[in-house]
Amino acid sequence: MSELIEDVIVINTLGIHARPAALLAQSIAHFQSEVYLIFDGNRVNAKSIMGLLTLGAARGSRITVTCSGDDAEEAMARVKDIFESGFNEIKGYE
Amino acid sequence: MNFDKILENRKPFIPVSRLLERNANDMDFKLLAGFQGIDRPVYTWDINRPGLALSGYLDYFANDRVQILGNTEIHYMERVDPAELANRVVNMLAFEIPVFILSRNLLPQPIFLDMCNRYGIPVLRSSLTTDELISKIILFLAEEFAPSSTIHATAVDVYGVGCLIMGKAGIGKSESALELVERGHRLVADDMVQIQRRGNSIHVKTHHVTKHNMEIRGVGVIDLRYIFGVGSVRDFKRIGLIIELVEADPELQFDRLGMSMPFVEILGARIPYLNIPVRPGRNIAIIIEVAALNWRLKEMGVDSAKILDEAVRANNLRRNRPPLKPEKKKDLW
Repeated sequence: MSELIEDVIVINTLGIHARPAALLAQSIAHFQSEVYLIFDGNRVNAKSIMGLLTLGAARGSRITVTCSGDDAEEAMARVKDIFESGFNEIKGYE
Repeated sequence: MNFDKILENRKPFIPVSRLLERNANDMDFKLLAGFQGIDRPVYTWDINRPGLALSGYLDYFANDRVQILGNTEIHYMERVDPAELANRVVNMLAFEIPVFILSRNLLPQPIFLDMCNRYGIPVLRSSLTTDELISKIILFLAEEFAPSSTIHATAVDVYGVGCLIMGKAGIGKSESALELVERGHRLVADDMVQIQRRGNSIHVKTHHVTKHNMEIRGVGVIDLRYIFGVGSVRDFKRIGLIIELVEADPELQFDRLGMSMPFVEILGARIPYLNIPVRPGRNIAIIIEVAALNWRLKEMGVDSAKILDEAVRANNLRRNRPPLKPEKKKDLW
């Protein structure tokens, strides 16, 4: 069981606030894999809303995502999708 | 939970005799005349002052309502010539009138009572003043005509917030309620709850037979009033929050932030609604307690989720990096 590591960038204007945190946590909650986000020297579980909020990930932040587990690939794809969609919010460069 | 399927009871009418029953809101009615008509139906909760009808103007006469006769009407009748009055009353009684009610222990003209006796229209009298009587009778009739139902749920008063706990059989409604009572809250009803809409809110009532009895699997039927004392039960409560216990399911999507406040419509009233997933080891009673407190806090204007979100947004905006260069033009929007 290998660990996947990839980088994502926060592109929405408001960064990771409550709604994006809930969106991310909820959409990966059903994966078996452990998903962690590493940013600014902090490592938080991506399934924890409060953890995501403490990251303080503003627009333009580069976040390292690690996934380990049986469905790590799907989980990673999901996380990247969500970051790339800018959490369905207004993106940083209008 | 599908609240549309709740069977709605609404009385089409109540007999006038209902007003004479002992619990009729302390209105203390005496029957003066028209005993034969005691079972006449009252179809609406509204009242009418038939002053204009007594003066002979019968267009738009709201004859189907309870007719209240106060000082004005009675003293007007005294001024009218008895033969003329008889004539007008007969014209009035050609309409279907459920009941006449007199306030202030007034006594109408004998001719009026004779007519009512002949036509079988009950005449009631109360010692209350007219305005008191009107507000009491409207309240009483509105309550009688309020849509009501009996549902499978448990109602507990938690810190003054009426919580209606719903969920499938065996999910732990009664056990949660038991624990809430143990923690000092009050049970309104378990298993079968009578609900009634009053204005824009739902009230729950203890069932008059099952009272505060509870069935706990493995123990049997227990009466909370005797086990925990009268301080742990109450008969009546307005519902502030509907809490549905659902089995924990990873696929189930629910609001994890509590930033939105969903409502459900029950008997036509909109009530705030929470979904609580149940998992072994989760203490539902404490969660319900906190949900009730959080709801009170929100009603007072403190929304913790919103405040936290604002703080996070402000923090993020402060740390914002310069806008990224778009890689592809078509990504712009």
